[in-house]
Amino acid sequence: MARIPTWVPRDDGQWLHAAKDYASTRFSSLDQIDARNAANLRLAFSFSTGVSKGHEAAPLVVGSTMYIVTPYPNYLYALRLEKSAATVKWTYKPNPDPAAQGVACCDVVNRGAAYADGKIVFNTLDGQTIALNADDGKEIWKTRTGDIRHGESITMAPLVVDGKVLVGNSGAKFGVRGKLTALELANGKVAWTAWSTGPDRDVLLGSRFHPFYAADRGRDLGVTSWPPDAWKIGGGTVWGWISYDPALNLVYYGTSAAAPWNADQRPGDNKWTAAIFARDPRSGEAIWAYQSNPHGLFDYGGVNENVLVDLPWNGAFRQVLLHADRNGYVYVVDRATGEVLSAKPFTRVTTSTGVDTNTGRPREVSEKRPEIERTVRDICPASAGGKDWQPSAFSPRTGLLYIPENNLCEDAEALEANYIEGTPYLGANIKMYAGAGGHRGALDAWDPVAGASVWSRKEKFPAGSGALVTAGDLVFYGTLDGWFKAVDARSGNLVWQFQAASGIVGQPITYRGPDGKQYVAVLSGVGGWAGLTVSGDVDPQDGTAAWGFAYATKDLPQATRKGGMLYVFSLP
Amino acid sequence: MCSPFRSLSRLRDVLLLGGVLLAVGPGCQRSSRTLLETAPMSAKAERDRPARNPYEDNAYAMTEGQRLYEWYNCSGCHARGGGGIGPPLMAKTWRYGKEPGGIYTSIVEGRPNGMPSWRGKMPEYQVWQIVTYVQTLDADRSIASPPGPREEHMQAGEGASSR
Amino acid sequence: MRRTAWSAALLLPFTACRASYSALDTASPEATRITNLHWLILWVTGVVSLAVIAALAIALTRRRTAETRAGEGRRARAVAAAAIVSTALLLWLLTASVLAGRAVATPVGPGALRIQIVGHQWWWEVRYPADPPSDTVITANEIHVPVGRAVLLELSSTDVIHSFWVPNLNGKKDLIPGRPTRHLLRPERTGVFEGRCAEFCGYQHAHMGFVLIAEEPDRFATWLASERRPASEPIDAAARHGREVFLSSACVSCHAIRGIGAFGHKAPDLTHLASRRTIGSAMLPNTDGPLAGWIVNSQHIKPGNHMPPNLLPADDLLDLVSYLRGLR
Repeated sequence: MARIPTWVPRDDGQWLHAAKDYASTRFSSLDQIDARNAANLRLAFSFSTGVSKGHEAAPLVVGSTMYIVTPYPNYLYALRLEKSAATVKWTYKPNPDPAAQGVACCDVVNRGAAYADGKIVFNTLDGQTIALNADDGKEIWKTRTGDIRHGESITMAPLVVDGKVLVGNSGAKFGVRGKLTALELANGKVAWTAWSTGPDRDVLLGSRFHPFYAADRGRDLGVTSWPPDAWKIGGGTVWGWISYDPALNLVYYGTSAAAPWNADQRPGDNKWTAAIFARDPRSGEAIWAYQSNPHGLFDYGGVNENVLVDLPWNGAFRQVLLHADRNGYVYVVDRATGEVLSAKPFTRVTTSTGVDTNTGRPREVSEKRPEIERTVRDICPASAGGKDWQPSAFSPRTGLLYIPENNLCEDAEALEANYIEGTPYLGANIKMYAGAGGHRGALDAWDPVAGASVWSRKEKFPAGSGALVTAGDLVFYGTLDGWFKAVDARSGNLVWQFQAASGIVGQPITYRGPDGKQYVAVLSGVGGWAGLTVSGDVDPQDGTAAWGFAYATKDLPQATRKGGMLYVFSLP
Repeated sequence: MCSPFRSLSRLRDVLLLGGVLLAVGPGCQRSSRTLLETAPMSAKAERDRPARNPYEDNAYAMTEGQRLYEWYNCSGCHARGGGGIGPPLMAKTWRYGKEPGGIYTSIVEGRPNGMPSWRGKMPEYQVWQIVTYVQTLDADRSIASPPGPREEHMQAGEGASSR
Repeated sequence: MRRTAWSAALLLPFTACRASYSALDTASPEATRITNLHWLILWVTGVVSLAVIAALAIALTRRRTAETRAGEGRRARAVAAAAIVSTALLLWLLTASVLAGRAVATPVGPGALRIQIVGHQWWWEVRYPADPPSDTVITANEIHVPVGRAVLLELSSTDVIHSFWVPNLNGKKDLIPGRPTRHLLRPERTGVFEGRCAEFCGYQHAHMGFVLIAEEPDRFATWLASERRPASEPIDAAARHGREVFLSSACVSCHAIRGIGAFGHKAPDLTHLASRRTIGSAMLPNTDGPLAGWIVNSQHIKPGNHMPPNLLPADDLLDLVSYLRGLR
């Protein structure tokens, strides 16, 4: 059975950054709430954020204070955790530029803050990273790393590693060149910038860079694998999750898909989009990189979380990362070298017939290539992926990875994309719909050793929230129509559920309150790409609205409404 | 040849020609194409002044507007009226109103919550062509009606919806 | 040998006609085959036409003779002979046509130079794919090919059906949206040839031309290497200002110039505009005056084309032209 790395610290009942720990397990050893008593869970208190867009953040708990970041306008609330209600300790309003709402591809979301060294650090939509004093909310420093005039924004939750705040940009759908920036935690100055495309000196590929696969070796591949100049508007943004292995001293993250969507405009492998990088956080130098979707055709970006576990493989334990990718495969990758040990499909895949572990490349199905003036149907998984950003969770007690999934397929047609700075750079008409079985989402319990699903719960809508798993052997997740559920981690049986006022796309957390009890908290507020039919009033009569997602969720407005509420549950 | 019917047949010809011109006339307006545009670049627009759309209901402007809507990436945010990053243009009510002058101002000046400004990047006549097309995205009107009276006669049975 | 002698004899009157846009002035084996077929059919049908007219004239003017059995028999034999001769001639022309068609459709080996041509209303996008892709050359309305090497054109269109025709080099081939086609060129001698769109494609179909330059292989290689470079730096303050004008006006929404941050994809690539002989898809010479007029109001020159007028202030226009004329 796979196990959590030994350097993951003991659970202290807090939740200091979105992924819980550097291995991104989203596992808590709190076990007061378990499968036997979870049916008694009731609402302890709620808090309205005052914003009604997609709430994708994970609340943080530091001591007896909870921190929440809202979607634009990115209010940061510090709440005193008391038993019956949460009172506001302080509020910080960063006043981001309203024009930033026009360059946020997929709702004006924010995936959360991070706590380190007495500071709360978070990003704003218009490209700033802000560090506040966690006690009184005073601004310590503010650094701008993104420019909305290029179409750039920031939605990701930063990660603090070794005195550096790691911040990635968003905007691949606007032709933004992706990058990961490291800011000094003390003063916000830029320590290093690792670009996702361009010459080796920009991507920080030096003498220590040893990619495992032959296709990833060569000089300046970030330039030569593109038509001339296309890498400057090529995407590869870093809007997803970052993990860190302090023993190997490597941070792991993925880059988004390439721009434009129409792949015929960018012949070549388009490095280093849709790739997983392992970098030294002190200097940013890359140690290895693996491009999971070279010359990507379907917006299968690589930004999904990398869960670091130690996996039994051929008789010995191996240090790996588990990566459920947009392209429908769960990758098991050796996190020291970048070798793909296995890649098994966790959903129905028609765009490839498997991943060749000798070359690391997917075996693509050529009939599924979208072309100009040719509509290709039954493309599975759809561009939203077998799983989008919504993070999975790993339990060392069951050895299973709990994956919240989309079950969507699409029809796609390529168009000639035109680049105008600050406007979308796409080149595709997409229409998504339910995949095989008619359900549009699922929660899978995946065994990474066997490479297969142990149990699966079908969901009517895409399972758009993150997952949380506890030592009480419970998996918590939310659905797009507002159900917050607790299921038995071993059997998948539903133990408890709660209907929230608005759909849930946030990340649930659990913590020990000041009174010693265990609490479970989640933000409700439907939105994100999946929830735009509600949060953006997108009209699904136009099948291509919201880049095809509107068609897949045309019944969502009847099932839920806009909202923005923190819900915290506990046992009576 | 002096036919007693000569003047009558002449009259008949004149009446026929007049009838044809009357039938075709309005269609001519709808399918006229002003190609030699001397085109001022779009300059500052006064906020929502009720300016008239010079291409109101003109079919060529609709199809050109449809092309420009794609070329200038309007479809990237607004899709084909359904919206996404930007609000749906198929909706019944718009935040800044549906008057042609208001739509013109939205495009030329931009709007605070993310609509970029195209002043200086698009000549005035192209803005009006896009306004003409965008007005057809309203759920009550069909998209990009074909030009010319001949097509209208072929769709005669459909009545107003063929516009 | 005999075929060449025959075609030489038949073509003797026309060998003086050298033209840059003429199917009679062939510059490749394919064009020669097609044109030879054309002459064969022309002569055969010409002779037959004259014979038929002559027979008709005789029939109309001859005195009527007595109808005798022998006369009837003679007439019947004459008709039968004419029918047999006609059938034989038609079979001959059919065979010649089939053989010519087969000769023109030779499969192309892997050593051919690949050029991708995308038809737009009303201009030609020309791409020379390369490995690595960063060596791709993108230009418009002017195609350079080396002499003595097979050139494979991969044709497609993004809007309506166009047709590629360089009469000196080969026949016509359609560019069909959604259905890529291929065409072969094998120029045997250097020269500057004109091409036109040969399938009605809208308002400016008549002005959708291009220039095809067949040159010696080393000159072609030099040209290709030069086209790979990013845009030349402006040489003086006026040209620098012109670059600013380009980047801050409507130009940058549609046109690309590599190296300065202009990535537009809807209009011809201007990175090496000054190295081309014509503008407006072979409508105007590429010199200062026509270029300025084109920028200011191409609608007066090519009404209905997709480039809007740009009423720039005079200084901006002159500086812009100065910059563009420096993009060699």
